[in-house]
Amino acid sequence: MEGYNHAEMQEKSVEDIEIRSWKRKLIWSWIFSVPIAILMFSERLLGLALLPEAWVIPAFLIWGFPVVFIFGWPTIRGGMRGFYTFYFSMDSLIALGTIVAYLTGIFSYFGFIADYSGVAAMIMAIFTTGKYIESVARGRASQEIKKLLEMGAKKALVLRSGREMEIDISDVQIGDVMIVKPGEKIPTDGVVVKGESAVDESMVTGESLPVEKRKGNNVIGATINQDGILYVRATKIGKDTFLAHIVKLVEEAQGTKVPIQKLADKITGVFVPIILLLALLTFGNWWLFGGDVSRAIGVAVSVLVIACPCALGLAVPISLMVGSGMGAKRGILIRKGEAIQTMKEVKTIVFDKTGTVTKGKPEVTDVYSLVKEDYLFEVAASLEKLSEHPLSRAIVAHAGLKSYKKVIGFKILRGRGVEGKIGTKKIIIGNRTLMNEQKIDIKKLNGKLESFELQGKTTMIVVENKKVLGVIAVADALKEDSVVALNRLRMEGYRTVMLTGDNERTASAIAKQIGISEVIANVLPEDKARKVEELQASGFVAFVGDGVNDAPALKQANVGIAMGSGTDIAIEAGDLVLAKSSLIGVVEAIHLSRATFSKIKQNLFWAFAYNVVAIPLAVAGVLHPIVAELAMALSSITVVMNANLLRRKRI
Amino acid sequence: MELFLQLCIINLNKMKKIKITISGMHCGSCAGNIERSVGKVPGVKSVFVRMMTNTGVVECEDSVSDADLEKAVARAGYKVLKAEKI
Repeated sequence: MEGYNHAEMQEKSVEDIEIRSWKRKLIWSWIFSVPIAILMFSERLLGLALLPEAWVIPAFLIWGFPVVFIFGWPTIRGGMRGFYTFYFSMDSLIALGTIVAYLTGIFSYFGFIADYSGVAAMIMAIFTTGKYIESVARGRASQEIKKLLEMGAKKALVLRSGREMEIDISDVQIGDVMIVKPGEKIPTDGVVVKGESAVDESMVTGESLPVEKRKGNNVIGATINQDGILYVRATKIGKDTFLAHIVKLVEEAQGTKVPIQKLADKITGVFVPIILLLALLTFGNWWLFGGDVSRAIGVAVSVLVIACPCALGLAVPISLMVGSGMGAKRGILIRKGEAIQTMKEVKTIVFDKTGTVTKGKPEVTDVYSLVKEDYLFEVAASLEKLSEHPLSRAIVAHAGLKSYKKVIGFKILRGRGVEGKIGTKKIIIGNRTLMNEQKIDIKKLNGKLESFELQGKTTMIVVENKKVLGVIAVADALKEDSVVALNRLRMEGYRTVMLTGDNERTASAIAKQIGISEVIANVLPEDKARKVEELQASGFVAFVGDGVNDAPALKQANVGIAMGSGTDIAIEAGDLVLAKSSLIGVVEAIHLSRATFSKIKQNLFWAFAYNVVAIPLAVAGVLHPIVAELAMALSSITVVMNANLLRRKRI
Repeated sequence: MELFLQLCIINLNKMKKIKITISGMHCGSCAGNIERSVGKVPGVKSVFVRMMTNTGVVECEDSVSDADLEKAVARAGYKVLKAEKI
């Protein structure tokens, strides 16, 4: 924990240091600039001379000096450096603009040039103000995600050598048993060893309902224990915890590029040199054709200070940052910036059935036995015990046998069932495909099978020595909010498809219950990616799966949405990851992506439009340098503020 | 033979990834300047600077030192606060 926290603190302080330093510069700059402003405006606008004529320019030069060359020194130094290293930045424009303006004050003593020295200080002061506001807003956006980490408990009550002791969270070791009282935060990730309670995991998953936890369940650090005492053995600490992972992930994602950004990046890359050239041309032009060198200088300074690569450069990353921060709070992790742009093009959403649409915990619901039911289950459970398949587990759980028969030659027949021998009897358990393969006559069962399947149940036929013993029907309950979520997606015009290994009839029945329009049944797990590929022929496809068996399909899809609950999610598998297992999360993720992307477009548009309109105006000489600088500062502030407005949006 | 040895040496040079925290970035061209400057350091394979998080990730050969990177960042006019291997 310590290493990570330390790094976090340092990183955070980069922003804090910057905000503080801009603030200091801002205050000092204005202390000196306000008198200049009063002097300038009273004289130029009101015609009031507050100082004798001869004192005005010296006053500008003296008051302006600290603003430009002391408080503005980092900007001047950084900017002028660009002229011999050829690493031009925004600073280069401001530095050149202010220095030129300042020098006019001195040169005015040699005649023929009007004085702009007051303008120099004003430009620097406004620039500093703009940067301060921008850094505060930026800090707000980037700290949102760091706040997630701060939510964790600071202290932990642990049991060591039989005694309870309160220690710092950073001293908790893996294997420590932590005692979590009602209302307290669980200090770090772990597994419950004793006690029962409901835990509020909303800060991680965005799900408001508390989750029941008992012995053997995993709990997440920073989630809140509600009503019982939990004894939790720490399994992950420091930078390995779930929360730390999420924060790292989101931060990484915030740096990934959104394709639409490429153009903006290209432009900002050449922006400053082009503006420098343009300012030079403007100056030459005005001097040559206007004949007034003072006016030419003023116009050129306007061009220098009005151009703003900041807004262009900030438009995309700041929106992405706000959007992903919002998502993280709701259990929606945007792993790739690209996904939010791609999401807009998605027409088809493909759902994996088990664990995505359904709870993934199938249970035996009906039994049709031609022999004694106990015998049927003894045979079935003995074989299924050897398989890890959810359906197998359902049968084993239902049978609840104390001892199992010895099975030899056990084989899993992927997508079809299992086979093995108990003594000399050959047992097969599986679906129709398997029965057909093995030439088992199931005609008599058809009616029963159909009726189960029409209810959305998966049927398994148990056969002993080619003789049918019975049928076991298993159903996987739908997630409560799946219907609502799918309804919303359909209303929004998405084509919804469900992929499943189930047979056609069972799958259709489930799809009908839940409101999915299309079903692709009998899909073997390894074929999911291929099915997604086929669907891609008719447009962009998003695939929603648990990320465990669906990794290839998630990858194949244009947008892979991996979902799971709590610590069980396969984070690396998806472009978007949902830390909650509800399909409403999918709807929210889609809305968030769309909202973020439209904010990105909006910001890019404003940034472009600003430059496209403002620069020609400056070249035309319509804008006073101070107005130009004001416009520039406002443009980048607008972009940052607009991005922060995304937070207001209801997802 | 010599070429072969050289190739061997190049292959022996393992790649590493370094995350740098940079101060002073505050405009759209800044990240680009740093990327350009660091990209010129011999042995640097890729560099990716994010202005928003004040960080950059450099993929480079093991032989590239933190000081090399710091110098390159400074050349563009910014300061490395921290460099850590990831």
